[in-house]
Amino acid sequence: MRKSWAALTMALGLVVGGCATATNTSSQAQTDPGDPLEGWNRQVFAMNETFDHAVLKPTAQAYVAVIPEPARNGVHNFLTNLDAPVTFANDLLQGEVDLAGQTAGRFGLNATLGLGGLIDVATPAGLPYHSSDFGQTLGVWGVGDDPYLVVPLLGPTNPRDLTGYAADTFMDPLNYVGIRDYTYWAIGRGGAEILDTRARNIDTLDELEEGSVDLYASTRSLYRQYRKAHIQHGKTNVKDLPPM
Amino acid sequence: MNRLDIQPFIRLRGIVAALVVTIAALAVAEPAAAATPAEAFVSQNVQKGLTILNNHSISDTQRRAEFRDFLTSLTDIRRIALFTLGAARRTAAPADVDAFINAFRDYAVAVYESRLNQYAGQFLRVTGSTEVGPGDDVVQTILVDPNGKSNGEQPIEVDFRVIQDNGHYVVVDVSIAGVWLGQEEREQFSSFLQQNNNNLPSLTQHLQQLAAQVRAGGGQQQQQH
Repeated sequence: MRKSWAALTMALGLVVGGCATATNTSSQAQTDPGDPLEGWNRQVFAMNETFDHAVLKPTAQAYVAVIPEPARNGVHNFLTNLDAPVTFANDLLQGEVDLAGQTAGRFGLNATLGLGGLIDVATPAGLPYHSSDFGQTLGVWGVGDDPYLVVPLLGPTNPRDLTGYAADTFMDPLNYVGIRDYTYWAIGRGGAEILDTRARNIDTLDELEEGSVDLYASTRSLYRQYRKAHIQHGKTNVKDLPPM
Repeated sequence: MNRLDIQPFIRLRGIVAALVVTIAALAVAEPAAAATPAEAFVSQNVQKGLTILNNHSISDTQRRAEFRDFLTSLTDIRRIALFTLGAARRTAAPADVDAFINAFRDYAVAVYESRLNQYAGQFLRVTGSTEVGPGDDVVQTILVDPNGKSNGEQPIEVDFRVIQDNGHYVVVDVSIAGVWLGQEEREQFSSFLQQNNNNLPSLTQHLQQLAAQVRAGGGQQQQQH
């Protein structure tokens, strides 16, 4: 079931990428050449916002109010440590041998001295955290980020990153370990990751929403810039900077 | 070896240890290479902004006024405003553009204060710079939490685009974790104008409302680190 879901997501990414040149369904003028599906994207964005305000944000706020910070940090550390094998694989695929070494070191230290990943002992030991994903790997290999997409629940993405998300699911060794009731484990882990991320960004997203004249366009800009920086591993490419 | 013989070694070890600590302290205090003028400008001036935001011994109004003065002295607000306007700056009426610039100034102060507030109390450390063009540089810094808390995240990189304007430096854009705020603003303003028939006064009015809302909401947001 896990593999067929991942395959479906990858197929969706490829199909949508192929549809990029199809006619824009919106009657409004296109504002951005990298967003030919803007009409559809805005509708999905609005739907995601409604769901976020009605369900996700209140749940995250309750989580923050009820669960003390050390416990929440423990959950975050545990979930982050589970992602280490995928990060390690992508570090190698990108040719980042030093980073791969750091990832392996982090995983080993945190899984053992960090009590199964609950405590981040690796960062104070001089192994800083970073994440790598297959969408980023594809970007490093030269795959572009157009067209911009907003998908239900997952939010901002593009065919490359969507394909990458599915590929990471294939690559994750934790999806092949014989866990009884795997479906519940997958849903539990996925749900915990969404909740953890949302809880850590309550104020940031509130500020963004508060100060934005067009939240859809803000989110689009943030996503694309953030992913580009992630692919460049934080190195500023001054050629991309507009004249001021 | 009797006790009397090892005394000189212990003393020597103590001297060596003191020397190592002093050298290490000097190495941390002074960068190996001399800072470029753009880097010196950022390291001397930008920290003042975070210090102002961290000063809770003065009233909100006074802190806001100080931050506003700081921001307008350090940045070229007019140039930033015109950049965020994009193509519309050529087609809109000059009076509308001036009104927009004033509204943008209030909006920028409110929004930047709100977004940077979560970093108040942290220190900026300049890590290097890259030249974009003559008199146009990007200075890279990282935010360091003096309490040493990392929460398992990478230290945040904050970059400043600085331009030489009549012999002095001004900041024209800031990027936090790779996201340039000026570019994000340009994208949202362009989108707003497209959705609203290129009506610049409408955007100006919206910015005025947002600035007021952000200021009103700012008192409730005391970030925990």
